[in-house]
Amino acid sequence: MAEPEGSDADRRHGSESVARRTGLVELAREASLRDRLMARDEQALVELVDVATPWLLAVAQAMLHDHDDSEDVVMETFRTVWENISPASGGHTRLMPYLLRVVRHRSIDRLRQRRRSERKLAAVGVSEWSPQTVPPAEPDEAGHPGWQVHAQVHAALEKLPAEQQIAVRLAYFEGLTHSEIAARLGIPLGTVKTRLRLAFTRLRTILAGLKEWAL
Amino acid sequence: MRSHDWFIQHRTDYATRVLERDDTATFDAHLRNCEECRREIARIEEELAWLPMALEPVAPRPGFRRRIIQHVLEAGDSRFRRWRVATGLAASVLLAGGAWYAGGLGKQALQAEIVEHKVRVAALEDTLAIIHRAGRVLQASVEMEGRRGSLVIFADEVTHRWNVVVHGLPPAPPGKRYQFWFICDDGMVRGAEIAQAGPQMFTTGMPEGGGTVLGAALTVEPIDATDGPPQGQELAHLML
Repeated sequence: MAEPEGSDADRRHGSESVARRTGLVELAREASLRDRLMARDEQALVELVDVATPWLLAVAQAMLHDHDDSEDVVMETFRTVWENISPASGGHTRLMPYLLRVVRHRSIDRLRQRRRSERKLAAVGVSEWSPQTVPPAEPDEAGHPGWQVHAQVHAALEKLPAEQQIAVRLAYFEGLTHSEIAARLGIPLGTVKTRLRLAFTRLRTILAGLKEWAL
Repeated sequence: MRSHDWFIQHRTDYATRVLERDDTATFDAHLRNCEECRREIARIEEELAWLPMALEPVAPRPGFRRRIIQHVLEAGDSRFRRWRVATGLAASVLLAGGAWYAGGLGKQALQAEIVEHKVRVAALEDTLAIIHRAGRVLQASVEMEGRRGSLVIFADEVTHRWNVVVHGLPPAPPGKRYQFWFICDDGMVRGAEIAQAGPQMFTTGMPEGGGTVLGAALTVEPIDATDGPPQGQELAHLML
């Protein structure tokens, strides 16, 4: 039986269509931003910095627990993007995931370099580096572009069992390796691997269905 | 020698960088010859691309945005300058003339000046962005020695920064200076010192480690009062 005019299904299809159109507009805007970055348009760089910095700082600070180190890493990330930006078809398809990946990798590099230095210093009896107390971020739902994506990803993480959440936080957001997580939690290495495998498998499934955010 | 199953099993660990150093090196070597693993790792990275956004955003400290722009543009410029100098030297050898090279040095100076201007423009854009995005604009009249001026705050609620404009004030009396304050729920927190004369505009973040910011005030302070609570006359205050 045909649904009456103005039914829920119509409205649903209508809203899906609007969402699709909005998504296309966002993608087109991001493509334009990428083109301008490639053309060395400094205003495009300003726009990118404006939108992405709070999210990149969040990643760097979660890992490094140090304002100055985090800012260095974020600055290097923007420089990397500015120097290596390529057409969308030539590799990285979206700007924000690219930025997030670069800032995370650079943070892990710096973190592991710091840990190696700490081990060397400890071996000669010099006291270890002590992290700054970085105040927690002030969430601002209305203000931050990308907040919807944050809410969805955060909810996906919250759906995991508590022990898997902890393992993911230590691995992904604090940059610890398997053995470091095992030592931190006092559990066998195999258990850490199992928890992470289950958690990431589930997250991959959930996150694959997310509405992506175009800059 | 690891079996291919081991690499299949540890693809996600490699993509998320939780493998130990030795295992990472083993994986790196394997990837050089395994197209299937490279493709799968790229897919895993793509699927987990948004995971870092589970963290709540962090408001940048004042001036950080400007420093990023400066850092990025200066890097690009220095590379450009190195390339230019190398070209200039090669040309000077070929043409056996120093005049061209001297011209190149002039261009370098010009290039440095351009970068400086770009940084200033970025700073101005930063200021304008705050004004443009300001969720609140607060204004208070200030009267001092018969002159009427004002204190205006453009509050950007996205980055938690304010653009503060003070104008119309006479030069501070001898031995005094103008001082901007944050009114917080746990007391007054010292902000920027206001220069002695002329219209002033500055960008400020919220004070670190203090309580909730409820407003701002402008006072005239003894010139040697550099810490502690306000001691001088209040000229204006604004509440959020």
